[in-house]
Amino acid sequence: MPTVLVIDDEFGIVDVLETILVDEGYRVLTACNGKQGLLRLSAEKPDVILLDFMMPILSGGKMLRAMATERDYEHIPVIMMSSLREDAVAERCKGYSAFLHKPFRAAAVLNTVARVLGRGVNDPALEL
Amino acid sequence: MATDPNSAGGQFPFERLPTGIPGLDTILRGGFLQAGIYIVRGDPGTGKTIFGNQFCFNHVAAGHCALYVTLLAETHDRMMQHMRTMSFFEPARIPDGLYYVNGFRVLEEDGIKGFIDLLRHGIRTHHATLLVLDGLIATRESSESDNDLKRFIHELQAHIAIEGCTALLLTNDGRSDYHPEHTMVDGLIELRDVLFGTQAERELEVRKLRGTDVLRGRHSFRITREGIVVYPRIEALFARPSGDDQWPDERCATGVNELDDMIGGGIPRGTTTLVLGASGSGKTSLGLHFLSKSSEQEPGLLFGFYEMPLRLRLKAARIGVKLGNLLERDQLEILWHPPTEDILDALGNRIIEAVRRRRVKRLVIDGLLGFQEIAADQPHRIGRFLTALANELRVLNVTTFYTAETRNLIGAVIEGPTIGLSTVAENLILLRYVEISSQLRRLISIVKMRDSNFDSSLREFRITSTGIELAHPFDSAEAILSGFPQLTTEELPADKAARRPRER
Repeated sequence: MPTVLVIDDEFGIVDVLETILVDEGYRVLTACNGKQGLLRLSAEKPDVILLDFMMPILSGGKMLRAMATERDYEHIPVIMMSSLREDAVAERCKGYSAFLHKPFRAAAVLNTVARVLGRGVNDPALEL
Repeated sequence: MATDPNSAGGQFPFERLPTGIPGLDTILRGGFLQAGIYIVRGDPGTGKTIFGNQFCFNHVAAGHCALYVTLLAETHDRMMQHMRTMSFFEPARIPDGLYYVNGFRVLEEDGIKGFIDLLRHGIRTHHATLLVLDGLIATRESSESDNDLKRFIHELQAHIAIEGCTALLLTNDGRSDYHPEHTMVDGLIELRDVLFGTQAERELEVRKLRGTDVLRGRHSFRITREGIVVYPRIEALFARPSGDDQWPDERCATGVNELDDMIGGGIPRGTTTLVLGASGSGKTSLGLHFLSKSSEQEPGLLFGFYEMPLRLRLKAARIGVKLGNLLERDQLEILWHPPTEDILDALGNRIIEAVRRRRVKRLVIDGLLGFQEIAADQPHRIGRFLTALANELRVLNVTTFYTAETRNLIGAVIEGPTIGLSTVAENLILLRYVEISSQLRRLISIVKMRDSNFDSSLREFRITSTGIELAHPFDSAEAILSGFPQLTTEELPADKAARRPRER
């Protein structure tokens, strides 16, 4: 049962992601900013991180940079999420494995997580 | 950031932070005071979130940074989808200029103290000089008592002051309740959606603004593709005209030579003239003659409610008034506005803006009734509105013609418009129909003309393919003012004159 760490300051998004991922059989951890996310990481090692780009206290970009300095975290794939265009995010941070543009559909989230984990896409019709 | 225009008078040395929202900075006398804390409140759907976003994007466009913190259920991407339809929304400004965060979870988990830390950290990290907090009501709900909320405002005040950041708190809490935070903030703006009959109108009122002589009262606004546009109430905006009355000793030709002869060479410049007459009596034609004298030195403007520009051009051509060249050379502009659902102050502001933009010196407002129809639900405003508008046009040295329709085509009683322009207008020209020998004929008379020895005789006039032509003084009929003239005995055959008694 892979573990997904969802980090987003918008509680509505965290709640809905947690619900659909748990329904799909994932174990889910949550945090509401990058600082809290790093604290979670120090306690548990997830298989994949869903990370919001714009957050208070510590943004997604800054958390990604902080993770890059720790060898323990370098193999954890990160899916960056934002309502900004991907090129605007890519200009400001590097090192994430995939990008999800908000607003997104549940299928897009599940397929991206599955793809990043190398589990393949369950339903080809849902492929991105 | 603009310096407070009042500072020269020694009132307030603070710098102002313009909102960039059209019309609002005029009401706020330049904007909010920098590093102040302000509340914008209103029911859901009144435009608070647009207000906050528009202010942020304008602030960022001016080279500053802003932080937008939401405490709402609506996600940022959904909010941005709505904002994307507005012209001020520039995605490229996010995240370096404008940064969005949601503080709900922090407020829920760490309380007011944790939330203040989030704000303080965000302001500092993003070098924000504007903070918008959308959803103050959530902070109120997280407070155990009024004192907690007051402490929150107090702490926030301390932090923004030291960071030089201005804070705008958006909230939808009710209007009638007592809100202790209102006593602590530097300003309070209320947004409302008001129904006048079946027509809805948005209104903004600045309830409090420390250190500022704001334009008080309610002002209408619209939410357009450009965002919020506020129309300062004309009576408040021009409670005192923007300058001194020029009072020039000059005349302004009407475009009808014989009429100019009657009034000493033309209309006194910078005055207001009311042209009163029945439907079809020649009011618009007289206005078109007046505008035919527009020039580079005296640009003209026709603001009409009923006849569209093309129709007016054709009408002018039929009476020998050529507007084409004037329009092409920008010496004349025609603005048409149907008297349907609209905002009275939007029209007033539009007229003043058009006058200032082209330095208009000849203005015809064709159809005074249009204002009355638009303000049908606020009839008490019309008199003051027209007075303020006329005063401002006067100081701009604009010679203005208003046309207004009398209710009756013909008869002993002249029923003019019920609105009070006749008290504002220095000049009054009356156009009438009379029936003589089974024919309707037109008469013109000057009822009043400022500082002028005018010819008070009744003159018949005709509207021909070469324009308005005045006949000799109309001395061939009696009881003209009753509208039922009789030929004088000198003009009757001798036998009929002998039989008819004089009836006066």
